[in-house]
Amino acid sequence: MVDLSVRVGDLRLKNPVVLASGTCGYGRELAKFINLKMVGAITVKGLSMEPWQGNPPPRIHEVYAGILNSIGLENKGLESFLREDLPFFETIETPLFVNIWGKNVKEYVLLARNLDAVERVTAIELNLSCPNVEKGGVSFALQEKVFEELVGRVRHSFTRKIIVKLGPQIFDLEKAIQILEREGIDFVSATNSFPGLAVNVDEQRFVFSRKVAGFSGPAIKPLALKLVYDIVSVTRLPVIGMGGIVCWRDALEFLLIGARAIGLGTVNLIYPDAAQRILKGIEEYLDQKGISSLEAIIGKVR
Amino acid sequence: MSEARIVEKRKLGEDYIYFVLREPVIASLASPGQFVMVKAGEGWDPLLRRPLGILWAEDEHFALLFKVVGRGTGILRNLDCGNWLDVIGPLGNSFSWNDNGPFLLIAGGRGLVPIYFLAHALFKRSLPFVFCVGFKVKEELDLLQLLEGKNWNVAVACEEKDEKVFCGTVLDVARMQLRQNSFSKIYVCGPHDLLHSMAVDAEFAGLPIEASFEALMGCGYGLCLSCVLRKKSGEGYFHICKEGPVIALEEVSW
Repeated sequence: MVDLSVRVGDLRLKNPVVLASGTCGYGRELAKFINLKMVGAITVKGLSMEPWQGNPPPRIHEVYAGILNSIGLENKGLESFLREDLPFFETIETPLFVNIWGKNVKEYVLLARNLDAVERVTAIELNLSCPNVEKGGVSFALQEKVFEELVGRVRHSFTRKIIVKLGPQIFDLEKAIQILEREGIDFVSATNSFPGLAVNVDEQRFVFSRKVAGFSGPAIKPLALKLVYDIVSVTRLPVIGMGGIVCWRDALEFLLIGARAIGLGTVNLIYPDAAQRILKGIEEYLDQKGISSLEAIIGKVR
Repeated sequence: MSEARIVEKRKLGEDYIYFVLREPVIASLASPGQFVMVKAGEGWDPLLRRPLGILWAEDEHFALLFKVVGRGTGILRNLDCGNWLDVIGPLGNSFSWNDNGPFLLIAGGRGLVPIYFLAHALFKRSLPFVFCVGFKVKEELDLLQLLEGKNWNVAVACEEKDEKVFCGTVLDVARMQLRQNSFSKIYVCGPHDLLHSMAVDAEFAGLPIEASFEALMGCGYGLCLSCVLRKKSGEGYFHICKEGPVIALEEVSW
């Protein structure tokens, strides 16, 4: 029997598969297809204080081996989540990560404080790629001072685990990591989708109303893998690696370069049972290699 | 998720493919208006599944009819009897009826698919209806093969001149029906422009209209929130895969 459990800091997950934010809804949507008890952790869709409508259609565009999305962070808001969805999670033991976002630092802090009172929440994950309305709509990840203030203030507002989700657009990766370590952030997750663009040639216009959209899917895996490799190189913080993972081989690439867990995103849209398929593949791989514990291969390729 | 075996394949006109699939679970659960998400090919390009409406379902079989429009449907076109399709479904809601009709059914082009399934269900229950179907080009009239042998009241229109059928839009024949008969409800599926025309046309305003909407979908089961349609009342969107594809036309903002 292969031991698939992993240590992510001082958190032990029964296996390395984390369902990534924005691709597993609020849990129940996926529960029709898989038993959510069998994943390492689940990250529910990015929540804001108030319900948020998101962007007008079109919101999705398929490209070669990937998709561009412009959902615009649509979500039901914290209160509805706590009322409608949290009771469902009380019925399963799987660690629950809640992704949060705000339009300013105050909103993040408010969300963190509110969720601190909800014991079922194992960790909060900060999405920093949304626009900071108080700073001219530039993302929180692009301004060192705001980034530092945000991370520090959320740390003081939430007593359990905090994950910071880093994307490819960051003011300075090494400096950002130093701030996370200094402020006592627990884990890093990487990466978010990449900024991408698509043009409708027939109508000679941009596909999306906001022009730029988030690029995800297998096409971004080498880019995500490089980013995770770089992050692992500069920190001892545990990293949850994600970006374009669609099969067990992809998952193992991230683990071999040092990610301590892996996030499944876009693949959940195509195979709602992807977590199950990938875990089975990892288990068979380890079994064939005669390796009894997944921990033994984490970071083996550096 | 299921593996459905293709047991019959027909090409209708240049662009349409008709598959009968054997998959007892989907066949037994499917209702008119529902769809399946179909994987096109075995690799990761194209990446997303394709939403395809269910044409009919009976006993252990269900049928799909789709127009070849891009890479995904292009791959599906090349499949043959004996091949397997990786399918998720049935998904979405279905048409509803709470009286005995008569009903006016309107199908534009490939909008024929859910309306055809609805006609099957109504006919089975001996509920009266008129089935209006319209096509843009003559070539699409090949789809009428699907209506052969059906003891349905059908009115056909084609925008391209053809001596056998009325020349005009499906809404032209639907308006004629409205003037000649009384109906309790209208069901429609077709291009966005057709649905828009109906929504703003006073002649259709007096009756409840249930419309089946098509959309690009990332998943088909409510995860990605990409298939949205703005609501008329209040704020926000309908998610076509979850709250649709069948939505009351009057509740949609244009």
